[in-house]
Amino acid sequence: MTQPLHLASRSSRGRKRPWLEPLLLLSPAIVLLMLGFFLPVAQMVFSSVTSFQGESGFSLANYAEVFKSDYYLSAMGRSLKLSLIQTVITLALALPLSYLMTRVSGRISGILMAIIILPLMTSVVVRTFGWVVLLAPNSWLGQMAKSIDPVRYGQGLLGTEAGIVISMVQVLLPFAVLTLFGVMQNIDPKLEEAARTMGAGFLSTLRTVVFPLSLPGLISGATLVFALSVSSFITPRLVGGSRLPVLAGTIYNDATVNLDWPFAAAQSTLLFLAVVMLIFATSRIGSRK
Amino acid sequence: MVKSVPGWVRALATVLAVVVGIYMLLPIIVVAISSINSERFLSFPPKGLSLEWYQLVLTTDTYLQPFLTSLWIGLLITAIAVVVGTAASIALTRFQIPGSQAILSFLMAPIIVPSIILGIALLAFLSVYADGASITGIIIGHIVLAIPYVVRTVSGVLLQQDRFTEEAARTMGARWWQRYLLVLLPMCKSGIFAGAFFAFNISFDDAVVALFLRSPSVETLPLAIYGRLEFSPDPSVAAVSTLMVLVTVLVLVGFERTLGLGKVMA
Repeated sequence: MTQPLHLASRSSRGRKRPWLEPLLLLSPAIVLLMLGFFLPVAQMVFSSVTSFQGESGFSLANYAEVFKSDYYLSAMGRSLKLSLIQTVITLALALPLSYLMTRVSGRISGILMAIIILPLMTSVVVRTFGWVVLLAPNSWLGQMAKSIDPVRYGQGLLGTEAGIVISMVQVLLPFAVLTLFGVMQNIDPKLEEAARTMGAGFLSTLRTVVFPLSLPGLISGATLVFALSVSSFITPRLVGGSRLPVLAGTIYNDATVNLDWPFAAAQSTLLFLAVVMLIFATSRIGSRK
Repeated sequence: MVKSVPGWVRALATVLAVVVGIYMLLPIIVVAISSINSERFLSFPPKGLSLEWYQLVLTTDTYLQPFLTSLWIGLLITAIAVVVGTAASIALTRFQIPGSQAILSFLMAPIIVPSIILGIALLAFLSVYADGASITGIIIGHIVLAIPYVVRTVSGVLLQQDRFTEEAARTMGARWWQRYLLVLLPMCKSGIFAGAFFAFNISFDDAVVALFLRSPSVETLPLAIYGRLEFSPDPSVAAVSTLMVLVTVLVLVGFERTLGLGKVMA
């Protein structure tokens, strides 16, 4: 429909080389991403299978090493477990909150949005710092945990998986809320009114109308939150300490302390594949809806 | 309309909003309160109040130097990402390019891939083809992370606007620079502001890429804070963190006043 006018104006101007302008506009971005992202990632994957403990040549030994060691297996297991728990809790909080934000007055919704966005825009390092203070044995939360279970939480919530989950959910919640809010905003309130007029109660309207329509947001929110969870190491490291290693933390250690890049690269490739497969799988589910 | 929401649901929703609100703000508030602690060691709640830590932070190089480093890196990233990202968005929305959908996914990829992977990949890459971890590495990493956000905000704005305004300018004899300066760039304006905000924020807050690519000679503000947290946190870390949050609050308020937060984030 728009095509003829476009072509006509171009040919009438008699411009030579019509591809030149878009090429000039696009090439800086493509070159930067090629050099700063795609080639490095490709080289990382490549090095994980071509170098093992200083020797070159094709080998899957780095991967075998990851799966042979109890330390790395337990780090991966913990990453998986914590990420699942964090994803479930985050979405369980985000779902009602986002719905609430679409149904209250603009003023209250704006205040809630600001409360959600401010932490998102604050460096993870600063937020984790707040949690380190809060979870310490001499703080309110630490004392509270100590009184519940003096043995397990003798050092407050620092160095515990519960502490990691409490602080990580706060880091992740904004991502889930923003994703869900975007989807729920587009649900026509008339659909709910229709369901109510036809005799459905408030809760059954939520179950049969609102929930199914928010499912795409729920799926993409969960994907995003899980991917962020499984790849984060700053919060687990500062809150959990070295006794509770996670996959992203062992990658960081092997890359910057042990300087064994091919081995760190193998672990990163596993993480990368897991995230890509997850995104691929959930986008398939999403497109089938 | 049918009698809407049951009272107990309203009550529950209010409780949820208040509890989650406190939960979200709690760590930031705790950092702010810890920064006026008069004791040498961090404790919460603080035993006495004092502003001496702010004086220390603002008068010594320990944090001032990293702050300046973060600031200039952030501004540099913003400038580069905005120019490169806006150009790419114009190409993708105003020209018919074969495979434009694939190119768009290519440009968006760094949003999906965890930044820890970008960090280690860049570190290994630069160690082979350049002289290893350096400030250049941090800058490249931040640019890569920031470009997708600029592309998303700017092309979002461009897609909503009439593409024939530009054609009209062309037909009426506008030169290429007139077309850009008088038509295209004013159209992109709100997208550029939003993209610039994200770009600066990503760079200013990032600790992940910086941790992988740090070298002894360079320290950004998040690195300085992270380093103190691993070893000996004292209230001065809280003071500098609070100042960092204040910068963010100021920028956010500015945004709310000019463009509206909801629009920018959605």
